[in-house]
Amino acid sequence: MMSAVDLLNLVIAALLLAGVYAAMSVGMIIVYGVMKIVNLAHAGFLMLGAYFVYELYARFSIDPLLGVLLAFPVFFFIGLGVHWILIRRIPSSDQPTLTSLLLLFGLWLVLQNLGYLIWGNADRAILTPRTLYVLQIGPISFPAVRLIVFGAAVASIGGLELVLHKTWFGRAVRALMQNSDAGRIVGVNVEKTARIAFGMGIAFAGAAGGLLAMLYSFSPDFGGSFLLRAFVIIVLGGLESFAGVAIGALILALAETFSILVLPASYQPAIAFSLLVLALVVLPEGVAGLWNKRHRLA
Amino acid sequence: MKGGLNSVSSRSKFAAALAPFFLVAILALLPLLEPGSETIRLLFVTFVWVTVSVAWNLLGGFGGQVSFGFAVFYGLGAYAAALSLNRGISPILSFLLAGTVAVLASLLVGLPTFRLKGPYFAIATIGASEAVRVVMTNVSITGGASGYRIMETGTFDQLQHFYTALALAVIAVAISMLVQRSKFGLALIAIREDEEAASDLGVNPFRAKLLAHALAAALTGAAGGVYARYAAFIHPQGVFAFSVGVAILLMPIIGGVGTLWGPVIGAVVYGLVHEELIASFPQLHLLLYGSLLILIIFFEPGGVMGLLEKSFRVFAHTRRLSGSHPQR
Repeated sequence: MMSAVDLLNLVIAALLLAGVYAAMSVGMIIVYGVMKIVNLAHAGFLMLGAYFVYELYARFSIDPLLGVLLAFPVFFFIGLGVHWILIRRIPSSDQPTLTSLLLLFGLWLVLQNLGYLIWGNADRAILTPRTLYVLQIGPISFPAVRLIVFGAAVASIGGLELVLHKTWFGRAVRALMQNSDAGRIVGVNVEKTARIAFGMGIAFAGAAGGLLAMLYSFSPDFGGSFLLRAFVIIVLGGLESFAGVAIGALILALAETFSILVLPASYQPAIAFSLLVLALVVLPEGVAGLWNKRHRLA
Repeated sequence: MKGGLNSVSSRSKFAAALAPFFLVAILALLPLLEPGSETIRLLFVTFVWVTVSVAWNLLGGFGGQVSFGFAVFYGLGAYAAALSLNRGISPILSFLLAGTVAVLASLLVGLPTFRLKGPYFAIATIGASEAVRVVMTNVSITGGASGYRIMETGTFDQLQHFYTALALAVIAVAISMLVQRSKFGLALIAIREDEEAASDLGVNPFRAKLLAHALAAALTGAAGGVYARYAAFIHPQGVFAFSVGVAILLMPIIGGVGTLWGPVIGAVVYGLVHEELIASFPQLHLLLYGSLLILIIFFEPGGVMGLLEKSFRVFAHTRRLSGSHPQR
């Protein structure tokens, strides 16, 4: 049987994992919320972010944490470029269209195979002196990298929250997420907001990719399984809520962490999918929907 | 003058209606020319591609529901047929079983997602293909990642496979034709254009999408079964591969989504080009497909059919212009 310490260790592991999961999902939800586009290329930018941080570390021995910080501006501008070349040509719609899905899927394929061209298909990993360091407090152990990654993830989400709640741009983003027509009426510049939102979505994808690269080995098709996880998280969170993302990330991380007790680790992607189906059946509006419903009743 | 025009157009309509039958007859008689086993193999593969391409178009083209997960049906069909063939069940029954298994899988994705508005269906199909591939590489009854061999008694008859695949492709096109001309097809197109308006007019979007998905899955599953019997060896990284899912959606888009013959043309183009590309650029082909997808979406969303239509219109226009000055 499992002791209380083991249980606590697993809960902590899940909590630390949830931080990264949330960071990789917020980028997707900004883009979906503002433009109603499911960014399938998110996986490709996660992968590029991982290689970006890796290359900085391998070539210029820039600390991966600093690399992640640098990834924000670099991928923001990449995002603006992609928006200018491709995304702004997609006819706007309040629902994901055949055009947007296929276009971003094509972009994902292109990015993934650019990855193969540049880096080959061998697995890489970022190994720093602190990679294997474990912090021991009593019977509970904290792997140092996971703590650092968790801290970075929480800090970046905190920064985003600040932007969303304290700036004009943030208010515009939230307005468009709630009701794009009403947002337009009160004077939100949809085109400009969408452009910056897309840039920020990609910035978060790149940075989250860098964070993930500190935890896992990666190859050019690295993003695929995380794309599925990000979907599950935003569906659990109700597609349009940042608080929902945090809860969704925690649920998925708990499910995955505790599943190793009953299932072989190789089945993990199947867990994400089962959770997705379950969420769609039981909670189609996500956790946030549940909360809203209760609120409305009260 | 007017009557003459009418008779011309009705005659060309008659020819257009007969053309498919001629095509099938030519393909069916082709083996008489003894074209060699390599050509027969290429045609066999193309028929399988035509089937799945037409199947995808039923849901994605007519109904506007993008699925990235048709490899699930293809692979499950292949495995179902393989397991049943190895137990001595007749090929026809095995293919039916393959289709049935695929239909059940289609319900698993369709039932929870088709009721909801939003991107849920497309997302769930990506999830399904990841999940099924992972599970199939770990399931021991089918040999896991190392693959599964089909042991059939009797001699290998390539022509029998050729005719099976041809028959399946003909069935797929016939179903597509029937759907296009039926009320059901109109309902699907209405859903694609505006789901809310369609449901206001009395279409049940949930039922129509579920039915189209199941129909497409049945065809794709049977195609997977037909392929598995020919290949005699299948493995998860082959039939469930990401690139299979990409191929199945790329073909109808190349040819022209939402049309009857577009997916067929797309499958033929893909079937012929793919063999060459894979051989010469094993690593690059997905890059090319991705770029192709982006280019088609931007420049010719109608695919080859769209291009043909445009060039015909230009042709007809110039002919009309020259026809209006007969005295010159």
